[in-house]
Amino acid sequence: MKYILLMSGSKAGVEGYQAWPPKDIEAHMSVLRKISDALTASGEFVATQALSGPAEAKVVRGEKNRVPVTDGVFPESKEFLLGYWIVDVASPERAYAIAGRISAAAGPGGVPTNVPIEVRRFATRESKSK
Amino acid sequence: MKYILMMNTMKAGTGVPAWPKKDLQAHIAFMMSLNKELHERGELVSAEGLSFPDQAKLVRAGKDGRPITDGIFPESKEFLAGFWIIDVDSPDRAYEIAAQISAAPGPGSAPLYMPIEVRPVMSAPPQEML
Repeated sequence: MKYILLMSGSKAGVEGYQAWPPKDIEAHMSVLRKISDALTASGEFVATQALSGPAEAKVVRGEKNRVPVTDGVFPESKEFLLGYWIVDVASPERAYAIAGRISAAAGPGGVPTNVPIEVRRFATRESKSK
Repeated sequence: MKYILMMNTMKAGTGVPAWPKKDLQAHIAFMMSLNKELHERGELVSAEGLSFPDQAKLVRAGKDGRPITDGIFPESKEFLAGFWIIDVDSPDRAYEIAAQISAAPGPGSAPLYMPIEVRPVMSAPPQEML
């Protein structure tokens, strides 16, 4: 069964991350790469993707004279999706375990970030990904 | 350039299955026809629907690295309901597609005017973070 693991954060949180010492960012990225490698080796990896920062986000609601109505001004505290992992696992517990590993990735000074990771099952039986 | 179009729903707003059957069928037919059109134009990368918020879990790593799951959320919390990843020539084309999704038919075939969040997808982490 397929699950998506969603990592979210606010504009302030993203700016805080960008201000980490480079070696802490490298250590963090290295843990995430190892998790992806392990998931690839176990055959559970489907996809992972980082999104651009909240500053580039727009919300579109309907059209006016066939022109999409866009809005791009959001409160600083609004949470945005930062990135996700799609995994194909045997049980929900396995999806939670992977989310736990991502959440425990080291932050500044090697301390786990413990960022919350939202875990959601795909509604589709078969992925429509091409 | 790749964009992700995100459709959100509130936990309290997951009454879609309670729509009259013909309205639900018209909504699904609209989405399928839009996906077919995007696929034929070579713009569709993937499209997925997620399970309803009652199955969502938030996972944080505990001190011992084991997952701590939480699944109780306020009715007003917004959840990702589904997403499209598209590969288009311009942001304006991404907004145009988002507006089409936004205006998908709901009960009584009235356009829903759902807010659709549009974000550029990063093909790789920025160099300074590696």
